[in-house]
Amino acid sequence: MRVEYINPFVEAAYNIMTEVLQADVERKDLYLKKTTQPVMGVAALVGLAGDVEGRVLIDMSQDTAIKIASTMNGEKLTGLDELAKASITELANMITAQAVTKLFDLGFKFDLTPPSIITGENMSVSNANVEALIVPLEMPQGLVEINVAIRERA
Amino acid sequence: MKHVSLKETKNLKDQTRIDFKMVTFTLAGKDYGIDIMKVKEISKASKFTFVPNAAPFVKGVYNLRGDIISVIDMRIFFNLEAEEAEGNTENMIILRLDSHVLSVIVDSIDKVIGISSETIQPPHPLFGDINIKYISGVVENEGRLYVILDVERILGDEEQVDGRTVESRSASSISSAAPLSVQESTVSTTGNAVKEDVDIGFIEETLITFLSFYSSPVNQEWIRSRFSAWKKQKGEDVQLANVQDAEAYLSPFASPFSGSYWNSDFAEKAASFLPADHTGNFYIWNPGCESGYESYSVACLVKNRLPDVHLRIIAHDNDLIRISTAPGLVVNQASLGSLYDNFLTEGSRGKQFKKEIKDAILFEYHDITHDNTLPKLDMVVMRDTVSYIVPDRQQHIFNTLEEVMKPGGLLILGTHEQPINPGAWEKVENSGVVAYKKK
Repeated sequence: MRVEYINPFVEAAYNIMTEVLQADVERKDLYLKKTTQPVMGVAALVGLAGDVEGRVLIDMSQDTAIKIASTMNGEKLTGLDELAKASITELANMITAQAVTKLFDLGFKFDLTPPSIITGENMSVSNANVEALIVPLEMPQGLVEINVAIRERA
Repeated sequence: MKHVSLKETKNLKDQTRIDFKMVTFTLAGKDYGIDIMKVKEISKASKFTFVPNAAPFVKGVYNLRGDIISVIDMRIFFNLEAEEAEGNTENMIILRLDSHVLSVIVDSIDKVIGISSETIQPPHPLFGDINIKYISGVVENEGRLYVILDVERILGDEEQVDGRTVESRSASSISSAAPLSVQESTVSTTGNAVKEDVDIGFIEETLITFLSFYSSPVNQEWIRSRFSAWKKQKGEDVQLANVQDAEAYLSPFASPFSGSYWNSDFAEKAASFLPADHTGNFYIWNPGCESGYESYSVACLVKNRLPDVHLRIIAHDNDLIRISTAPGLVVNQASLGSLYDNFLTEGSRGKQFKKEIKDAILFEYHDITHDNTLPKLDMVVMRDTVSYIVPDRQQHIFNTLEEVMKPGGLLILGTHEQPINPGAWEKVENSGVVAYKKK
């Protein structure tokens, strides 16, 4: 993954999370993962195109997703209903959009696809020949991993 | 150009507290360890001289370079199933105890592990196969539990061993004491060569522990020649006790201009291997680029020699902190030499490389032990990088190179490294600088 891309994603994820949740978000060490990785339970997916090809995955457990959605809506949600899903989708949209804006300022042009949300147990995600950058963020609601897999257009 | 990740660096700090090393081995599929200070050496041998009327766990005696030592089969001693060794050659650990030297036979000898003695836990009274009084503790390392045997207690006091024999082994000793064949013990490896192999083996293991430096066909030649020099310098005490020792051992390994720009002389010698005429795309892979000094040097030397090519350097490193600084690297030195003059420009924060050089290099945060997606390559600069990754991934990377490099493509390795499969490469040399051309 190109070095210049890393910071925009890390900063965007951190800024949005702190702003939306009004809580202390702790940034943990970044690392790289091989092609196939397990997904925790709720994954919001945003595709990227343009100078690069790839995707951003915002990954968290169902419990964390419900807690985050509750905080975002200012009310206690009990399950992963339509409102909760819409909130997580919006979160993914905000993070990716801010990252792409920062990247544009650096001279890279990215396009986004509308976010989609995937839920379930025991899922894994794989991207042929691309390793993923994992940005783990720890907050009172739980652990959220921003999983970015992009590569240069050949 | 060490390929050491952030995580490993952290581990390294933890490992500075290593104060206990053990030789690990297996008995009936389980892992055990013996304090390295008790181990004299490791050897393979067969056909021990049988001693009539000895306890069944005494395999016989063995002639160790003139010293007759007894050989104890640990598996029989501990009532475990004894696997028949391949080709009848048994793995022996030769122990130097307070009172005497003896040898024990084990299933297989694993490696040397350095641990902090604080992590050793006392044995639990429910331990099965081996009586608790012979265990000095249990320790976990890389997901495996090792039972540390107290050899002094097990084998140190001869009288105790004898007593044990009479009590519990009398029945079986009669049956197995029957054959009275006396055989000359034959040793598969002998003399000082064994000692040196063992010493080098220990050093290789220590280099992995302290600096994640892996011995393999890539660097073995150097490790061996370095060992002779190290021995001359250190005398008998050749083992590496801490990170400082390991760093001292490896210090001559680093290739010239590691962590700095190549000087014009070195760069020109390397450039002399390049084809005289080349047009179109010229792809270079530079894994383990660290902060990018090497990538910029290579970019300049290629651009200087082949001004018309469309140059593309893919520079990889898995150290995020270092590679993050690479795209905006500033030149602090007053002059880097004539080679670089044409490619530098005055920026706001000091001298920087011109856009044509910067645009040619793509710095990527990437772990090369994962899958590498690469175009067809004209050149690979991989100095002191593969030596720092596990041997089976080294093999994988060389396989990748043989696949993706164009015929005649140029490979530059560290000064003390060589390709794993020498048959696939043609060695070229220009006054001390070596490169390999793909056949």
